[in-house]
Amino acid sequence: MWSRVAAWGGGAGGGGRLAARGCLAARLLTGPPRGRQAAGAVRQERRPRSKIQKLFSTSTVLSTKEDGLTASADSTTKTASKSQEDSAETPKQKLLNIIGNMKVEVSSKKKFQQLKTHETKKQAMNQLEGLDSKSSTFPKTTEDIQRGKPLNRELVEAASAVASSLPLNKEQTESDLLAQLRRHEETTDKQKKGGTINIRNVISDMTIKRESPAQRGVRISNLISLELEEDGKRIRPERLAPQSSDSRRSLKVGRRLNIFTKTSPDTEKALKTESSPTIWDVEFAKEIAAVTEQPPRNGFEEMIQWTKEGILWEFPIDNEAGMEDDAAFHEHIFLEKHLEDFPKQGPIRHFMELVICGLSKNPYLTVKQKIEHIEWFRKYFEEKEELLQEI
Amino acid sequence: MAARRLGGSSWQQMSLLSRRWCLQAGSAGKREQNRYSSSSTTLEKTVENSEVTREEIVLPRRKTWDKLAVLQALASTVNRDPTAAHYMFQDDPFLMPRNTANSRLLSLSKESGRSAAKYIIKEFPQYFDKTTSEPNIPCLMPENLTPQIEGVSEAALKERIHLRGVKASVDLFDQLLQAGSPVSLETTNSLLDLLCFYGDGESAQEKQNEQKGDLEEPEENTSEQRSPKRQFQKSLNSSGFRWRENSNAERIFKIMPERNAHSYCTMIRGMVKHGAPAKAYDMYTDLLNERHKADVHTFNALIRAVPYLKEKFAERWALVKDFLNHMVQQEVQPNVLTFNAVLKTLRRCGGVGRGVSLSVIQEMNALDIEPSLATYEHLLHIFYRSVELQPSTIIAEILEEVEKRSFTPQDPDDANFFPTAMQACCDLKDIKLAYRLNKSMEKGDNWKFLDMDRLNAYWSKFFSLLCMMEQIDVVLKWYKEMTPSLFYPSTRSMFDLLQALDAANHLEVIPSVWEDIKQLGFSRKQDLLEELLSLMSREEHPEETQLAFAKCAEDIKAAHEQSGRDQAPLEWTGSALGHVVVLFSRAGRTQDAWNMMEHFQQINRIPTDQVMDEFLNCAKKTNCPDEAIKLVKLAASFGLPSTLKFKSRTEQEFELSEKQKNTLESIQSDSDSSDSDSDSDRD
Repeated sequence: MWSRVAAWGGGAGGGGRLAARGCLAARLLTGPPRGRQAAGAVRQERRPRSKIQKLFSTSTVLSTKEDGLTASADSTTKTASKSQEDSAETPKQKLLNIIGNMKVEVSSKKKFQQLKTHETKKQAMNQLEGLDSKSSTFPKTTEDIQRGKPLNRELVEAASAVASSLPLNKEQTESDLLAQLRRHEETTDKQKKGGTINIRNVISDMTIKRESPAQRGVRISNLISLELEEDGKRIRPERLAPQSSDSRRSLKVGRRLNIFTKTSPDTEKALKTESSPTIWDVEFAKEIAAVTEQPPRNGFEEMIQWTKEGILWEFPIDNEAGMEDDAAFHEHIFLEKHLEDFPKQGPIRHFMELVICGLSKNPYLTVKQKIEHIEWFRKYFEEKEELLQEI
Repeated sequence: MAARRLGGSSWQQMSLLSRRWCLQAGSAGKREQNRYSSSSTTLEKTVENSEVTREEIVLPRRKTWDKLAVLQALASTVNRDPTAAHYMFQDDPFLMPRNTANSRLLSLSKESGRSAAKYIIKEFPQYFDKTTSEPNIPCLMPENLTPQIEGVSEAALKERIHLRGVKASVDLFDQLLQAGSPVSLETTNSLLDLLCFYGDGESAQEKQNEQKGDLEEPEENTSEQRSPKRQFQKSLNSSGFRWRENSNAERIFKIMPERNAHSYCTMIRGMVKHGAPAKAYDMYTDLLNERHKADVHTFNALIRAVPYLKEKFAERWALVKDFLNHMVQQEVQPNVLTFNAVLKTLRRCGGVGRGVSLSVIQEMNALDIEPSLATYEHLLHIFYRSVELQPSTIIAEILEEVEKRSFTPQDPDDANFFPTAMQACCDLKDIKLAYRLNKSMEKGDNWKFLDMDRLNAYWSKFFSLLCMMEQIDVVLKWYKEMTPSLFYPSTRSMFDLLQALDAANHLEVIPSVWEDIKQLGFSRKQDLLEELLSLMSREEHPEETQLAFAKCAEDIKAAHEQSGRDQAPLEWTGSALGHVVVLFSRAGRTQDAWNMMEHFQQINRIPTDQVMDEFLNCAKKTNCPDEAIKLVKLAASFGLPSTLKFKSRTEQEFELSEKQKNTLESIQSDSDSSDSDSDSDRD
């Protein structure tokens, strides 16, 4: 749960900095009951520092307690703050508003101290007395901001410009500030809605970070990325609101393109079997085969490769290697069955048995040739039968 | 007769048995399978069912073995030996490679030797006319590449196209045209195929030579993002040939009396392949004007060319969508390569790509097209190669998918998946993901997707992640497992390892790491030596460790002094010298330490006080007042402000003879004089 707390603390401190700051100040000035709460919170802290520092200090306190996570918390809050700045920045009107808020905030610092001592709620008008005498605080704020965390340079510049142009006329300032306060009240309400969303994002980011092992590497890398972000070089343009949540993305959900429609396999086949492979197909097949082609990892695999290339005897090794016909060995050797047309006994039979004996030992003839050979003798003896009869 | 009877009864037996099995089919399905694979189960079965069979003898069926079965069974019994280099390097111990560069050199030279032999056979077939082997081995004999059909005819042209003689085919085609005999559309198309594939004028031999040369690929990955234009020429134009205006292919295409869709398609594919995407697009519009339909390969090629046709991300995606819609209109069914091409294009579309890529995956799912590894690789690239990493579940989901399936290569980009995924794990610093990835890489035949270079990239990424995130014991275990049988560490990996050792306070392992560094040939990498020395000399260690460290220091010293055949000796840096002195001093090797001290003068560097302190301590320990005095002298000659300090220490801590005292006294004078300029020298 620490992470969540840290996120909130950080979120309020870093993320919602501008909004929260301005909001607090405004509440104090107009004096709703919630303003008192905030003041109380400040009092608990008991540090006469600016609120920025205070809030950051709380987050660092947390960070010492669980160092793995706070780094990530910091970074997330930072991004949140950045996105908020971005969204607020775009219209110029809003920028002015924010500058106005800052002004109020700075003065409110003074006020907290006063509140602490007086412990009474006063009208905003009365309070504002002490404000413009504090115009010297402006440079300090800008300084604070620079020292603290990344405000856009443009924003800082604009703030300083406003600070320098601040009129010394008391009444003028008062009414200006009040007008700005009223305007700012509206914007805070607007931003509060946006702000809560952002904080939710922060939290969702947080939970994801927490899953990953909180180890040295993560910490270091986050610190590095923090540093990079600080000098403002690495701000990604696409970090704007709708795109920023990669965490919600998934392979399973989402819309499809809806361009193609599924076809039945029959038509696919019909399309495929129309032409003979071209050189493109042949070469592509080769390329694909080369993807998983690996050199042999051991002697046996090398032998497999050689077998495939036809260099090696095929296993199991027997005396049939290289024989073209598909006859089994017994057809080569047992040739008696071809002698059925010959006489069962007598010199011819004897002669033929010698012939098949010779044939069965002859490795150079195919079975067909052997049978033809026997056939030839059969025909020969049939032709000569008459002669033989005479004898 | 007896045999026949037996055979007959055995057949009865078989049928009987099989009938029995049919009855038991539910329970004994596994046995059923076994029956065919080995005869022993059958016999077993017979014994079991003795009441049915009595004393019958069952002859096993003759089993025909696949010619590879025996070898495959044997090969599966051999595991990887973690201490040995790859099998491919094992023939000569002298040539055994020690680092990446060597292993690559050796494998390439083996391959080039093989292709040189092939070249000779091909060039001089007349010397290889004796068939000595029986049966003949065709792959060792020259291929017959000379055309058999003489004369000018379409059949001769066909044969030349089949033999892939680009030039001969074009010449013959021209001759046929001049003779006025028409060439059929089909033959012309296959001639166009040949010309477009080889990019006009490239011969078949050239192509085969570079088949194995997968040298350039790792560089490709790094430069991809930066310069799409250059990379395009490199990747799509691997044969180094660019499409020319009025090339033979274009000329023949123009003079063709009639053209069909195939002619257009092959032209488009050729243009894309040889780096003329704009022309390909024009050709495609021509094809549409002629009311032909393109095929799926052509669309794939066109989609791949999109990044070179449009500049803006949104325009690129719009064009891709156009092509996809055209495919629907022309009733072309997409395949996995189509979607891979789309994703590959989306890699170059920045944020647009991130948004759209998942819809592309959904489309694939909807069409029941199984993604290949390249699909996932493109996705990972789209989501994890950007400036900043976002924690997202995409990689976990991809891993889930990959674990579930087995993969066959479908796309040439498939091979990139594992290195890219490991890179993403490394960037996310997520060791659990990396372990999962590694497991799925080792599953089945997946390891085959990693060739030599990718293997190195993959494992060095994995290793640096391990160094960063894991306990040192685990790291060292992996290290032992991985080197040198899987990969050769780079200097980067060695740095990572040293840092891991440092973080885990296991510096006593350094001497063995140093041995490995020497083996790997990194003993002349200055920054690595510096890191090593500073780690070793940072703290005091127990006696034996110090001795081992001193040995390393000696090696390093030797590496500095010995100059190789063609290399200059390494330059000493001040800090390295200091570290070496400290290491020698701590090991009590005063003389060696002093020798190193003298180097400081030679290279005009000044030892730090800490170094000199250590040396003095050592001199005291080994009771060498002479060395101490020499040190004071040295310090004085540098004009160091600390000279006085050392001098007083020497006086107090050593028992000096009269003569030594005198020499020590005499040093005093010149130390103050040169004090001022020594400070400026210091840096």
